[in-house]
Amino acid sequence: MSKVVDREAVRQAIEKLPLFSSAALQLLQVISDPDHELEDVIKIVKFDSALTMRVLKAVNSPVYGLVKEVTSIDRALSYLGERMVVSIAVQENTGQLFSKPLEGYQSEPGGLWRHDLFTAIASREVARYANGNFDLDLAFTGGLLHDIGKSVFATFWKDASLEALGQIEQGIVSDYLMAEQDLAGLDHTEVGYEMARHWQLPESLQAVILHHHHPAEAIECMQPLVYAVHVGDIVSMMAGCDTGSDGLKYQLDPGYQEFFNLSPNVLAEIVLNSEEEFSKAEASLVS
Amino acid sequence: MSQSILGIGDYGAAKHPGGEVKTFALGSCVAAILLDPRTKAVGMVHVALPDSSINEAKARQRPGYFADLGLPLLIQEMARLGSPANGRGLVVKLVGGASIMDHNDTFNIGKRNVLALKKHLWAYGLGPLAEDVGGNHSRTVSVFVDTGKVIVNCPGRGQWEV
Repeated sequence: MSKVVDREAVRQAIEKLPLFSSAALQLLQVISDPDHELEDVIKIVKFDSALTMRVLKAVNSPVYGLVKEVTSIDRALSYLGERMVVSIAVQENTGQLFSKPLEGYQSEPGGLWRHDLFTAIASREVARYANGNFDLDLAFTGGLLHDIGKSVFATFWKDASLEALGQIEQGIVSDYLMAEQDLAGLDHTEVGYEMARHWQLPESLQAVILHHHHPAEAIECMQPLVYAVHVGDIVSMMAGCDTGSDGLKYQLDPGYQEFFNLSPNVLAEIVLNSEEEFSKAEASLVS
Repeated sequence: MSQSILGIGDYGAAKHPGGEVKTFALGSCVAAILLDPRTKAVGMVHVALPDSSINEAKARQRPGYFADLGLPLLIQEMARLGSPANGRGLVVKLVGGASIMDHNDTFNIGKRNVLALKKHLWAYGLGPLAEDVGGNHSRTVSVFVDTGKVIVNCPGRGQWEV
């Protein structure tokens, strides 16, 4: 059977994607280093005027209710946290990729951005319940980029979504990712991984993008991070913040229990806190 | 025609001609829908979690978020539009409460939401006349004043009446 997606056409589409700015790339690299300091982030933002402007606009958004206008990056970062600066940089550099409707998934315009932002926040919340030390903001960044592959894959996937749903209902495949593999010969995680390599994103983020539905396949040192995003992704879908027809049609890997202590009440807190922070973040990031 | 959109934890009721109460993307959340055949009023609450005791501050800020607080508030809202304050005679429908594909009890918030709502409905002597709950799909639901119809939409699955 011929596959519905031409792999070579996908490769060419990825090749045509604009590269990340050097500031955004540096920012993602710095954030991926667990030993980085806030000062490292401030330096990068200060040297990028467009990023500086967006950060100041976000911190002065009415949702934060600050009485006095914030005009310095140092103060803005202390209010917003690194994760919001990363969100702004990613949004700036990915342009239409996040905001266009995902045709193949029947998602509304902005659906991918909302899902990834919610997943970012939820992944960070999940990471707070880790058994050991955890870089919370790296979990956020991983969540923010985990589904980026859908932005390119969706264009090629198109009508196959209905067939995928049929396969799942009939029990031919176990979840949506397997349906993508079966019908297209590749899936959104592979496409995202190729995009991450094209953008030269840090290896930890590449691992999140490639393995977020099968975290046990990530190399051992990356597994806590990938599991955090795996669970954050599920929480996002449960909260109704999905990317369309594939919403909730994935498997949960119970291996998360090795890394996180999640009881039903903890999970309820994660949903609650994520939804609250998401509302604020979404409002302040309106460009 | 006027549309009232409810977010997570919101509740609302309407009985003016052309009115519609709608909520988007339920996921594991559940919409409890009340219809009064006598006054023609319709109401809905978008419940996200079963029990408010996990977070008192949030329970005060957004009581509709929780099944135990949201349902009584919706019944009060219906009473404001002329329905009995004890909920008697109201028709109940439940929509939502989906889960992921794996049967993991910790993550089955949808099922816990549905059970909690039913438990609190029983306290009023009520039970759902119809329900479209569970499964692995997110639902958007509307209830219309003129017809009393409850219409569910789902990406990739189309729309249907409950």
